[in-house]
Amino acid sequence: MSLLQATWQWLTDPAHWQGIDGIPTRVEEQVHLSLESVAIGALIALPVGIVLGHYGRFGNLAINISNVGRAVPSFGILVIAFQVFGLGDVPIVIALTALAVPPMVTNSYVALREVDPDIKDAARGMGYRGLAQLFRVELPLAVPLIMAGVRTSAVQVVATATLAALIAGGGLGRYIVDGLARSDNPRTLAGALLVAALALATELLLAGLERALVPRGIRLLSASAARRASTFKTA
Amino acid sequence: MNRRLGAGWLTAAAVVVLTFVAACGSSGGTGTTSKGTVTVAGFNFPESSVLAELYGQALAHDGYSVNYKLNLGTRKVVAPALQSGQIDIYPGYAASELEYYNNGAGEATADPAATTAKLNTYLAKLNAEALTPSQAFDGNAYAVTKATAARYNLKTLSDLTPIAGELVFGAGPECPTYKFCLPGLSSVYGLHFKQTLTLDTDGPATRAAFKNGSIQVGLVFSSDADLNALGLVVLQDDKHMIAADNVVPVVRTAIATDEVKKVLNNIDANLTTADLVTMNGQVELLHQDADAVASAYLQQHSYFA
Amino acid sequence: MQAGLFLDIVDPWINWTWLSTHIPYVLAAVQEHLTLTAIALVGGLVIALPLGIAARRWTNLHLRPAALTVFGAFYTIPSIALFALLIPYTGLGILTAEIPLVGYNVLILVRNVLVGLDSVPPEVLDAADGMGYRPFARLIRVELPLALPAIFAGLRVATVSTIGIVTITAVIGLGGLGQLILRGLIESFHTPLVVATALCIVLAFLSDLAIALAQRLAVPWARNP
Repeated sequence: MSLLQATWQWLTDPAHWQGIDGIPTRVEEQVHLSLESVAIGALIALPVGIVLGHYGRFGNLAINISNVGRAVPSFGILVIAFQVFGLGDVPIVIALTALAVPPMVTNSYVALREVDPDIKDAARGMGYRGLAQLFRVELPLAVPLIMAGVRTSAVQVVATATLAALIAGGGLGRYIVDGLARSDNPRTLAGALLVAALALATELLLAGLERALVPRGIRLLSASAARRASTFKTA
Repeated sequence: MNRRLGAGWLTAAAVVVLTFVAACGSSGGTGTTSKGTVTVAGFNFPESSVLAELYGQALAHDGYSVNYKLNLGTRKVVAPALQSGQIDIYPGYAASELEYYNNGAGEATADPAATTAKLNTYLAKLNAEALTPSQAFDGNAYAVTKATAARYNLKTLSDLTPIAGELVFGAGPECPTYKFCLPGLSSVYGLHFKQTLTLDTDGPATRAAFKNGSIQVGLVFSSDADLNALGLVVLQDDKHMIAADNVVPVVRTAIATDEVKKVLNNIDANLTTADLVTMNGQVELLHQDADAVASAYLQQHSYFA
Repeated sequence: MQAGLFLDIVDPWINWTWLSTHIPYVLAAVQEHLTLTAIALVGGLVIALPLGIAARRWTNLHLRPAALTVFGAFYTIPSIALFALLIPYTGLGILTAEIPLVGYNVLILVRNVLVGLDSVPPEVLDAADGMGYRPFARLIRVELPLALPAIFAGLRVATVSTIGIVTITAVIGLGGLGQLILRGLIESFHTPLVVATALCIVLAFLSDLAIALAQRLAVPWARNP
């Protein structure tokens, strides 16, 4: 039996779809870890980026933080988190949150800065001040780029969560790591295919969500900034 | 403008070339040896690296050119690598090797010589052989925390039988199918744990799991040096499930000249379990490098020459 | 949990004695790391440059959307999954490590090559045609030089990303600084772990700087797009 046939057999074996090591469990673990990390990351990153962008302060820091984030090796951060916090979800979520924050800060900052100054003038002329201007004028216009940042983070967090298996974590990476240890090639390949599928599905889902939620009337501002921020790969 | 462009391209090219040169530069060739090249591999735990270094450095001292593939993986990765000729030697453990090559037929005994002889009947068909087993021994061992031992009054593995259902067990991914792990615990001692966690084989995850209470029983190796420091105590294998896991080199027949065999057997004839524990301590507790530890040991014994 | 039961073996985050006696070991890891990175960058460029040029020239082949989609999908897949997929076919070696790394870089670089070439003003192209440049000469002597800022920008992003992902090749026996991280994990030994992580960040910054400097030398008239 060829490797591909054996892998197909592995994937279609009902025993692999139930229990603590079953595919649904592993997918749920990876999604759960990712959601937690992106949510916490967003709670930290978005307010910071938005406020800095609104007031135009610490621009260099905000823009360069995603360069720093790109430079940090995710494998190293995960292992350091493991050394500090031991086993379980806590070290994984902490490491993934740290990786999720930078692109969201940068994108939020740039999004706010890129709001057309003429529009801000008009808003001021209409009587909007300070926070009202921020919430009712600037933010709605900034949403596309902010969402692009969240999407970039989320896709990378889902991908990096695969590495959790290297520090005895759960998720689909478990199949890859266990398969390699046991020289169980069908398991390894099945794991790799499932991981790839999950990553692609995340990207497509979030891209679709973005397209659905952002009104067509609002163009994606500053394509180069968006492109720069979306090339963010940590795993 | 053209000249500047030309200079620009040259600079860019120079940067690339320099990176390459810097990157590839100092991996220059070494001197030639007359006796040939061998590749020594080890499993992915520190003791195996030390043993591989012992074999390799002794052979190098004897005039061979030695390549190392340390931390290659579990037996399921290393054994096929030997069969395919990617590696020439690895430091095996007699009983575990036998039960791997005979597909778990259950032929290993507590007698290292008999176990190795049986092992060789299987290796012969694969153009490999196991040399003379050492008295140095390192087999699977099952540990509990001192608190757990005190609470249930545990000294032997048999003591676990009545209470196994209340305990969580942690081991590596190969444990469910490895004869001297879960299958053995179940068939010899009738142990059925509340839950089995897949962690690693005597690695940091297992230790972390003990530490945070995720597991009460875990797989370790009998020659580990850090068990006491970690507050762990090994339960005695009173029904002798663990067979003769004596250190024995597994080599490809193609490179198993009398010379090679002599060098390796010299080491194993003198290696003791106490030596293993000492060297493990140097690596695990003092964080010394496996090659330095092996080197010190060999020099101390004048390479057994 | 079970306080007092475990004697925490004192292990400082950086043991400077260990570091000072292991400089060659660390440098060897840095060397392997840089080699793997360099191969991935050169490989990526060697594919991305012709691909980008061809995509613009032969638009009937629809290379642009095809390349961006295919390499874009590839980019989404985690490296460890790609290594696992390749091992049965290409073994545990440099090829298995480099195929995904090169693939990721192709996406980053081809996007920037396209943007760079797209950004050449049509008046400049007209002027070049008027001066008698034939298509190939126009490409080499006018279009590509003007696209350099974008290409350099792509190289910077690709380099920093690659340096981080190279650490993951430790799971197939390579890894460069990733080997130190792995050792830190297996032996619960902090120093190589922290040193390797810090060095990765430093290497990323230095490489970024080096490429920015090379860009200044090669295209002194332009800033970042």
